[in-house]
Amino acid sequence: MEMLIPIIVTLVGAATPILIAALGELVAEKSGVLNLGVEGMMLVGAIAGFVAQFYTGNPYLALLCGAFAGAAVSLIFAFLTLSLSANQTATGLALTIFGTGLSALAGAPYSAKPIALMQPLFPDMLARDPFWRVFFGYSFPVYFSFIMVAAIWWFLKRTRSGLILRAVGENDHSAHSIGYSVTGVRYAAVVFGGAMAGIAGACFPLLLTPQWAESMTAGRGWIAVALVVFASWRPLRLLAGAYLFGLVMTMELYAKAGGGVLAVIPSELWAALPYLATIVVLVLISIRRDASTNAPACLGKPFMPTN
Amino acid sequence: MQFRLEKRAEPSRFMLYATPVGAVILTMIVGAIIFSLIGYDGIGAVREVFLTPLTNAYKWQDLGIKAAPLIIIGTGLSIAYRANVWNIGAEGQYVVGALAGTWVALATYTMSGPWILPLMILAGVVGGALYAAIPALLKTRLNVNEILTSLMLTYASIQLIYYLIRAQWKDPMGIGFPQTRRFAESAQLPTVIPHTIVHLGVPIAIVVALVAWFIMSRSVFGYRMRVVGAAPHAARYGGFSENKTIWLAMLVSGGLAGLAGVLEVAGPFQRMVPGFATGYGFTAIIVAFLGRLNPLGVIFAGIVLAITFVGGEVAQTTIKLPDAATGIFQAMVLFFLLAGDLLVRYRIRRVVTTPAGAA
Repeated sequence: MEMLIPIIVTLVGAATPILIAALGELVAEKSGVLNLGVEGMMLVGAIAGFVAQFYTGNPYLALLCGAFAGAAVSLIFAFLTLSLSANQTATGLALTIFGTGLSALAGAPYSAKPIALMQPLFPDMLARDPFWRVFFGYSFPVYFSFIMVAAIWWFLKRTRSGLILRAVGENDHSAHSIGYSVTGVRYAAVVFGGAMAGIAGACFPLLLTPQWAESMTAGRGWIAVALVVFASWRPLRLLAGAYLFGLVMTMELYAKAGGGVLAVIPSELWAALPYLATIVVLVLISIRRDASTNAPACLGKPFMPTN
Repeated sequence: MQFRLEKRAEPSRFMLYATPVGAVILTMIVGAIIFSLIGYDGIGAVREVFLTPLTNAYKWQDLGIKAAPLIIIGTGLSIAYRANVWNIGAEGQYVVGALAGTWVALATYTMSGPWILPLMILAGVVGGALYAAIPALLKTRLNVNEILTSLMLTYASIQLIYYLIRAQWKDPMGIGFPQTRRFAESAQLPTVIPHTIVHLGVPIAIVVALVAWFIMSRSVFGYRMRVVGAAPHAARYGGFSENKTIWLAMLVSGGLAGLAGVLEVAGPFQRMVPGFATGYGFTAIIVAFLGRLNPLGVIFAGIVLAITFVGGEVAQTTIKLPDAATGIFQAMVLFFLLAGDLLVRYRIRRVVTTPAGAA
């Protein structure tokens, strides 16, 4: 048990950003919008969070800056796909390319400059306790991610607004004819997804490696997109999926540190494992049943009101 | 006064070809403004990135060899995207094609002969196509999204480079550098213009695009790709199997990405190095769209994107513009192009509203 605690702590750290980003993407997809720009929005959030932490040392402000930055670039996507009905796949790819470039440009002056990691939320007595730290040893984003799983589940299942959002994603024309603003709802969902991706990105410098590195999210945004499919658009399954990936990444870290049996497998294979695991879970979910059954019916389709 | 969108009965052909040009021009204007706002010499940046590569004859060779892989990969992607097959893992197929070619080059290191290079190229095409066969298989058999699988395989392919050159393929004379030995003479891509760096890949790229254009516009294969992409239901009635189309689209785009990879490793690189994957496979996505998914357009689009690469390097040294600026310009071109798509399908009409009560 003693040995497991540091592993669990690492696992939680690895899973949290993917979970936060995937939750945001889930809400956007539930409204019928497929935003493949998660990776780009995360990178923009990461550099915004880094810069804020670098100058202010206030990690909460840094998370907020990450959220704003992610939301801001998601507006480009929203405008193109929702107001101009551009192809969502292509626009999402463009957003990822843009976010990668923008973050690299903004981050160029900050390479190899360290920042302070975000401290645990609870007092040291709990957070540093050899046992209790498994529950209380984490910083704010970890608890935030759990709260958001519950909140989004509740929002989608139990609230009127959640019902409207789902209606827009399942049948945009009906929702429009009843009088709901399809475009308005989708704007809100995309911007929410952008803010969540931004927070997830900011977690990388604040929680994992306290510095800026180009493309530091290393494809985790794409894994988040895949997780939404894996979870068949259900928040609770997203939680399970994110922790499954966290486990794979934790094993990679232990293998790199030269951990016994794990080191038998070449380090490059460990590094490739999260991506290969993504393919495996996508395959498994499609074998189990038709993966697309639970997908929002209007996912990825542009909507243009005819009036 | 208000504006209203009106759907065109037919997509506008004029707008289809005018919007890519407009997107590049808008990128230059808006790019200059944005880079000025964030404290760079905006006009200088646009001049160096978009114009210097064209006006400076010394840069034309660079343009050629950077445009070649973009055109080859972009041609394959334009065929796949036409059929609505979203292969975005061309970068991975490019890498695996190059690795397959490297394998041949290293296995034949002590030999020589004119057969080695064609064999490498064949290996590259097959390697790229096989790597693209994985998403094709998963898509056709299990309906797994090809966007995600092809992209995940790209990340995995880069680790494959690291693995192979760290141990098995490491240059015995490399003094600790993880890279392969330099290819033997027979495994190097020859130059086609003496005293320049313009290698055989440049004419190959043009030929590939021209052949693809001919096939796409004049053959049953091309017709199939276009129909399946534009009207899947009609295609099914017409007896075109959707799965077969996915296979063809993936194998062609993967094979061409593999071709670009092997030409790149045998040409400019002449060995496999850790930094081999420079993102041509991703930029080629922009090339395919900017070229309007038409191989002839892809030639022009490939040159335009090559200009931004070469110009980005120029601007790095002359006005200290960070490398990343190139990616921002490239993404902006795509953003403006996608925004312009609206004008292809809709026309903007001015609506004259009569004030209530005036009548």
